[in-house]
Amino acid sequence: MTFDLISNLALGLGVALTLKNLWLCFLGCLIGTLIGVLPGVGPIATITMLLPITFGIDPVGALIMLAGIYYGAQYGGSTTAILVNIPGEATSVVTTLDGHQMAKQGRAGVALGIAAIGSFIAGCIATVIIAALAAPLTAMALLFGPADYFALMVLGLMFAVVLARGSVPKAIAIILVGILLSTVGTDLESGEERLTFGWNEISDGLDVAVLAMGLFGFAEILRNLEQTQARDVVMGAIGKLLPDRNDFAQSAAPIARGTLIGAVLGLLPGNGAVLGPFASYTVEKKLADDPMRFGRGAIEGVAGPESANNAGAQTAFIPLLALGIPPNAVMALMVGAMTIHGIVPGPQIMTKQPNLFWGMITSMWIGNLMLLVINLPLIGLWVRFLKVPYRLMFPAIILMCCIGIYSINNSPVEVLMTAGFGLFGYAVMKLGFEPAPLLLGFVLGRLMEEKLRQALVISRGSFMTFVDRPLSGGLLLLSLITIVLAVLPAIRKGREEVFQEAD
Amino acid sequence: MADPPNRRASIRSPLDIAGGLFLLAIAATGYIGGFDLPVGHLSGIGSGLLPKTLAVLIAAFGIYLILQGLLAPGPALERWAIRGPFFVLGAVVLFALTVRPLGLIVAGPLAVIMSALASNDTRPAEIAIFAIGLTLLSGLMFKELLSLPIPFDPLGLIPSSLAHAYAGLKEGFAGLWRR
Repeated sequence: MTFDLISNLALGLGVALTLKNLWLCFLGCLIGTLIGVLPGVGPIATITMLLPITFGIDPVGALIMLAGIYYGAQYGGSTTAILVNIPGEATSVVTTLDGHQMAKQGRAGVALGIAAIGSFIAGCIATVIIAALAAPLTAMALLFGPADYFALMVLGLMFAVVLARGSVPKAIAIILVGILLSTVGTDLESGEERLTFGWNEISDGLDVAVLAMGLFGFAEILRNLEQTQARDVVMGAIGKLLPDRNDFAQSAAPIARGTLIGAVLGLLPGNGAVLGPFASYTVEKKLADDPMRFGRGAIEGVAGPESANNAGAQTAFIPLLALGIPPNAVMALMVGAMTIHGIVPGPQIMTKQPNLFWGMITSMWIGNLMLLVINLPLIGLWVRFLKVPYRLMFPAIILMCCIGIYSINNSPVEVLMTAGFGLFGYAVMKLGFEPAPLLLGFVLGRLMEEKLRQALVISRGSFMTFVDRPLSGGLLLLSLITIVLAVLPAIRKGREEVFQEAD
Repeated sequence: MADPPNRRASIRSPLDIAGGLFLLAIAATGYIGGFDLPVGHLSGIGSGLLPKTLAVLIAAFGIYLILQGLLAPGPALERWAIRGPFFVLGAVVLFALTVRPLGLIVAGPLAVIMSALASNDTRPAEIAIFAIGLTLLSGLMFKELLSLPIPFDPLGLIPSSLAHAYAGLKEGFAGLWRR
């Protein structure tokens, strides 16, 4: 098995190390970081905006570039969290706690440096984990029948509910709305038009990029415009970029622990990766000799969570590549992107398109290396970039988004729909719902319906099939337990605490 | 970031009630949209089963939220801004309407300027120059570098002298590149 692993990795390196793919990886990381650094533009908006750029490229190259954009956006988000105290999205929230404090103490460079280094180490280890687990997991995936797939997706959605902020009923409801939106269009089985109200434009269904851009891009800008908070960009010296011996000594164990925590949580369906940084921070705080340092610029508070963040981000690819099931909203968007490029994620990718699979995995490692190399020298550039006033930044973002959406299908109507979803997203947020579970529900919806249908056909209409089969029965039971736990008062308080600390 | 719970006020939670109504509206739209679709039977579910079931479930949650809003204290409604959504989303709509007939050269600056009106800090001269510069830059990046088929100047608003000059520059660069 080790020999297989090595030969597979060699195959992957052969694909990833071509000049073209290296260039694409580099470009992806660079542009991803550039856009990811912008406050208020999280990974989802970044990927959506940059998706059209990948259209002219072959699928393998496009995926490599998209993956590069993905980590770039994550790292950009951390940079903003440290320098400006604005988290790009959920996973960067923890970084603001100690990272920004370090920046205020003139140690921004060290914070950024340890974030980059920790992420790199975590990424390397995660890549090895992915490579090692991929084959066994895919073999396991082949044992999954439709009923089991359905149950797994339900479990994933339930985890997403638990890990979303806010009330459980609202989270479940918004996921259901997402699934409902996924039914819009032509039914695959019968060819009938559903929920289109006779409107031809959507007879092919709603485009995931349109939905994502409206919900996350535009709605986020609208929200930013309302909060006229001064951006507290660290104007002072960035300080030296490399952490010194002491810093390394202090960070080594947190990085190791963070990587492990993040890697395991990233595997879980339903956005387990989000929990990684929070869990790591809590663990480090508990294990530290002097917990009072946390919240005041403790380097462990950056090293651990950042490693967990990156490890989780990478292992989140495993359920996607092996089973074809995106574990969180960002991966859901990647599924959409893959579909646009004609790739159907699932267990058969490993066997039918080994170039793609292993090439992508090895390019993840290369991407991590590139991020390290790109970002350390370019910090000054990012800082200058952040100082561009928001009044200029958001119109630019809007123009980019419009051009991006238009170029997907050359359709002005889709641009209009994006505006509509922007309004919808604004309403969703104003009414206290979370948009991310909606996107997850949307992407999983079609697949869930298909599996449900298949399962019921096979069982000839018997719902008992979900309980009879051990795998699906177990998964559904787990889902039930998860939801019940989430609603229990004790756990509910714990959830709130986790998110309170972030506030 | 969320408003503190309005405990000393009445037992209603306006936010929850509004959320519940929102869900009911979505459920109704969903159900109406799938009204004619066959539900089928369990061994062969029809195209209407999922939409209708989802609509019913969403409605149930909507009712639950409304009840919760009537019985349990909770946050008040946040104020909805008018200016931001109007100008930002209006800019997007404007872009959609003008990009094909008038091209990016017109749609771009229009979108940038209109959306900038959403912010108090916008300065007229600055945003005008920025709009034109950004449009040219985007045109360069998306159209030339990435070859995306977005109409740049279908009406030929750019004076032909400039257009010729640009074409000449492109030839020059292409020649250098090949060498």
